[in-house]
Amino acid sequence: MGKRGLSMRRKESIYGYIFILPFIIGFIGFTAGPLLFSFAGSFTDYNITSQMEFIGVENYQTLIVEDGLFRTSLWNTLYYVLLSVPLTTLGAIFLSALLNQDVPGIRFFRTLYYLPAILSGVGVYLLWMQLLEPGTGMVNLVLGWVGIDGPNWLFDPDWTKPSLILMKLWSVGGSMLLYLASMQGVSKSLYEAAEIDGASRWRQFIHITIPMITPVIFFDVVTSLIGGFQIFQEAYIMSGNGEGGPANSLLFYNLYMWNQAFENFDMGYAMAMSWILFVIVFILTVINLKLAPRWVHYEGEDK
Amino acid sequence: MKNMKTLLITLIGLGLILSGCAGFQTSNNDKESVNEDGKIVVDFWTFWGSEIRRPVVDKIVEDFNASQDEIEVKHTYSPWGDIWTKELAAIAAGNPPDVVINDINATALRGKEQQAMNLSEFYDDSFSEKFYPELWNATLHEGDSYGIPFNTDTRVLFYNKDAFEEVGLDPEDPPETWAELEEYAAKLDVKNGNSYDRLGFYPLWGVGYDVWLLNANGENYFGPDHNTDTVNINTEKNVEVLNWLKSWKDRIGEDVVNSFQAQIDSQQGNPFFSGDLAMIVQQPTFYTQIRDYAEDLNFGVVQLPEYEEGNGHTSWGGGFVAEIPKGSSDPEAAWKFIEYLTGAESQEYWAVKNFDNVANIEAAEAAAESDELTEQGQMVYQMAVDSMEDTLLTPAPVAAPSYFNYINPQVDEFFLGSKTAEEALAKAQSDVEALIEKNQ
Repeated sequence: MGKRGLSMRRKESIYGYIFILPFIIGFIGFTAGPLLFSFAGSFTDYNITSQMEFIGVENYQTLIVEDGLFRTSLWNTLYYVLLSVPLTTLGAIFLSALLNQDVPGIRFFRTLYYLPAILSGVGVYLLWMQLLEPGTGMVNLVLGWVGIDGPNWLFDPDWTKPSLILMKLWSVGGSMLLYLASMQGVSKSLYEAAEIDGASRWRQFIHITIPMITPVIFFDVVTSLIGGFQIFQEAYIMSGNGEGGPANSLLFYNLYMWNQAFENFDMGYAMAMSWILFVIVFILTVINLKLAPRWVHYEGEDK
Repeated sequence: MKNMKTLLITLIGLGLILSGCAGFQTSNNDKESVNEDGKIVVDFWTFWGSEIRRPVVDKIVEDFNASQDEIEVKHTYSPWGDIWTKELAAIAAGNPPDVVINDINATALRGKEQQAMNLSEFYDDSFSEKFYPELWNATLHEGDSYGIPFNTDTRVLFYNKDAFEEVGLDPEDPPETWAELEEYAAKLDVKNGNSYDRLGFYPLWGVGYDVWLLNANGENYFGPDHNTDTVNINTEKNVEVLNWLKSWKDRIGEDVVNSFQAQIDSQQGNPFFSGDLAMIVQQPTFYTQIRDYAEDLNFGVVQLPEYEEGNGHTSWGGGFVAEIPKGSSDPEAAWKFIEYLTGAESQEYWAVKNFDNVANIEAAEAAAESDELTEQGQMVYQMAVDSMEDTLLTPAPVAAPSYFNYINPQVDEFFLGSKTAEEALAKAQSDVEALIEKNQ
């Protein structure tokens, strides 16, 4: 009986597993393992070094019922996501539409608008802190030329989050590139046909360009939504002392979580926070996926 | 074809065994940490990597190694943003460094969480006398020290002597009280339309509101020895101090404050160097900037003015400790190095080379008379030493870690005008009380 050995199919599937073994080990060791550990840890008073006692749902209960800073940080993050995602998406589409024109020197402009996307990290934040300086910064200087008395940007709690969104708009070059590539892929014959029918440029944009790039819009919205919830560095650097000031207006979810974990050593609490965030982002992404068929158009797909 | 199955099982088995071995090694505390000469290696982590500080640390380490037959200290630089999270991960993994420079204000908390070792087994009763008592007390949790004070700082008032003379003030008689400070500042102001050609003083440059509260109260928000039985945030005096601080901004104007602030942030363009600002509260190390960017400036330095006569020139400081992380492979050797590091000789060397306040009293006093400093340098350092006597620290009580995160936002709202001082402090008081409640 044993002579028959394994069928070709089974053999191949075993080969397959061997080939992906490095990934499986990596996934279990570095992703699934820590994920499960943080889930278990969220029900404890884990402090990283010396204690890990089971305390039930106390962390979750304190977070939701008592913790005012938790609510502040969640509100700040939602505010930021709700404003920045639509604005950066619209900004990127607008910019790529402009850069999709056939005018002399367009390559130069494409490079110019893409440049901010290759700069990253703390350097950019420090640069923007100088630009947004209320008294001497470039932004208020330029606003002054047209007679606008600029706000206090990073020093005024009402303006801190808009400041960050402004900074994000400056660096939409990355997603602009995706939109541009997808716009270039739209068949010229569609525009020619529309032109013969007498459609204006605007109507061509609305009825041809936008539907044809919806897959990229969908991708951009999903990734920037998730990225938006992960905002941390900006607040850590730009709120001056890293505490999320002024008046807690830059205390984002991840910053508060970081403070709980590494300033107060309340890792169990921080783990509970990360799971609440995970659930929120998960639900939003599922909603996004469910809504997608209603507006995302894939070429060559039967409807 | 059975071979396949065997191979697969062997592979997985091998993987498990290997990872198992690795797991063993990292949690093995008894590993031999000796080098090829048979010396015990003490792994020493600091965040001092700048071209000024690094050579000084390296020299201290070198001197220690030269004096030793059995121990060799290895200095590792880790950036400010990483060092303590790395340390934490290393402690959790059971393979930490042996000596780490860490923040003095959370030493008790690290002791409570058992990240740092209880050092009481190493020192005797007289050991603590070498250090400023306020610094030593900040390292205690339930009476035992969890880190030995290394360096510290304080806040003093720098003033422009030429400007004093110009408006008829005695340059050798700087302001002693808050009232004098206000009076002198007004005299020193040179107004030009809506802006100032010279501003006398603004209290919130160089320090925060909390330093003025500390100066007025002579103590932090909590009871003696940083216990949390009493919380004194919402007091009449604090309300008065906050309103006093705000009155400066109201008088000078927000735009003036912002434009001066931007210049101060840019360091080289500090208006104090150009004489556009007559007085400023700063750390004593501010002197090195004056030396480098404005060597001709005729300045004096004095302790912070007192709230009212006889109230005390209370100032505020922070600092760093040398601690032994829990799980160090050779705490005895680590302690020997800490003793050397916080001893008079290396402390004086550090003080003079970096122009930095040190925790060792003997070293600090010797540094103020060091020939390596200029006359001006000696004067500033002596003032720093004098100010240390009146300097308080504000370490976080274990029941109220990062309590300032609950006070600062409220005070921000007060300065922005959306809350009165009473409202802001009442909210801060109840939030901090709730925090203590939660942690008890």
